[in-house]
Amino acid sequence: MTKTHIAFMSFFLLIVSIAKSQTNVQSDFFSNNNRLKFANHLYNEKDYLRALGEYKEILKLVDNDTIRFRFANSFLKVGRYDEAAQNFKTLFVSSKLQEEAKFSYYQTLFFSGDYNDFRINYDGGFYLPQKYYKVIDRLNSATYFLQQANLPGESKLIKPFDDSVQTKLIYFSQMIKNPPKKNPVTAALLSAAIPGAGKFYSGEITDGLIALGATLLSGFLAVNNFQNNHQFRGWLFTGLTAFFYGGSIYGSAASAKIYNAKLKSDLNKEIKLYFEERNYFLPKIEL
Amino acid sequence: MKKLVYISFLWASFSFAQTDWQKWEAKDISYLLPAKNEQKLLTRNSSLVGTVLNSLKSVYSFTISNYDGDNCPFTPTCAVFFVESVERTNIAAGILMFADRFTRDMNFLKDTYRYSLHKNGKHFDPPSNYTLNSHQIIFEPEYND
Repeated sequence: MTKTHIAFMSFFLLIVSIAKSQTNVQSDFFSNNNRLKFANHLYNEKDYLRALGEYKEILKLVDNDTIRFRFANSFLKVGRYDEAAQNFKTLFVSSKLQEEAKFSYYQTLFFSGDYNDFRINYDGGFYLPQKYYKVIDRLNSATYFLQQANLPGESKLIKPFDDSVQTKLIYFSQMIKNPPKKNPVTAALLSAAIPGAGKFYSGEITDGLIALGATLLSGFLAVNNFQNNHQFRGWLFTGLTAFFYGGSIYGSAASAKIYNAKLKSDLNKEIKLYFEERNYFLPKIEL
Repeated sequence: MKKLVYISFLWASFSFAQTDWQKWEAKDISYLLPAKNEQKLLTRNSSLVGTVLNSLKSVYSFTISNYDGDNCPFTPTCAVFFVESVERTNIAAGILMFADRFTRDMNFLKDTYRYSLHKNGKHFDPPSNYTLNSHQIIFEPEYND
């Protein structure tokens, strides 16, 4: 065996040893420490669903407030609100994160859409975080804007918000309380007086013009045919006039109803978008 | 080896050869689009009103719709709108709803912002919006497929 052979074999053994030692390190993927690193990576990448699985395994062996908070927050982020609320509650007592947990608990109630439950908790003063009281107060006001029902006094409603947004919120409040609705009966009566006038009232100008034109034209043809002793055509156009006239009255009432529904739907969308764009005036909490 | 080649050749020839006992000619192709909502036109109501509606629909289809083609700017079409209106309300309200729809159909200056666009490219205008019940009003179509 020459020196070259010995050198080659030694080098080969060295490579094998290094490779083997690396394998030993890599095989420890499921240690608690590595799992936590991976879970935190998933959490930071907003892959909350997979982070949940990893945090769940870690919490079987370790009890840590930050991990538990992130576990609960992952439930919140994926929309599993009941589980989020239950897990936030575990941090309410003797935890350094109890204020954040209480705040997130209220966020859970808010985003679940059960605004009545939110208000029961808020009005009862249950689990209210002192540190985030003003934020919860804003969320409470937001529930009234989003639900568009049973609004409290304007001053109470907009008090938690900054001056810069109060003008817009007063506008929303007034639109909810006194929307510029159209009365379907008025629309119908207007069309009964002048065909198509109810449509003008509901903002459907061209539809109103067509209704007026169709009724007048068929009415004129009915009269003209009767005057010229064309009885059949006279009655045919009389029927057609009644058809357009009746349709105009009914359609005007319907268009007023649609106008009101559209008004509500558009306001709802506008309010939702307004709060969404401002992330519901929530502070960013990094844990 | 030669025999195997011959057998393979013969097998391929017989298997994939074009037949000459069928006449070669151009195929009759129809470019008519199938009417998707033809069945929806017919009401399942077996009462007198249902029978009258089905009769009206048949006359309308035979005399107008089949020749006019798919030209109604709304979805559902006026004929379907009428049938659904009667089904949802009653014959009198259904006729009034149809009269209103017919007038709006004649409006060549349609306010397009008023109607949302259906995926078939037509104005979405369901009869539920005209029953005078605010809870039934919908502005966006729901697709099941």
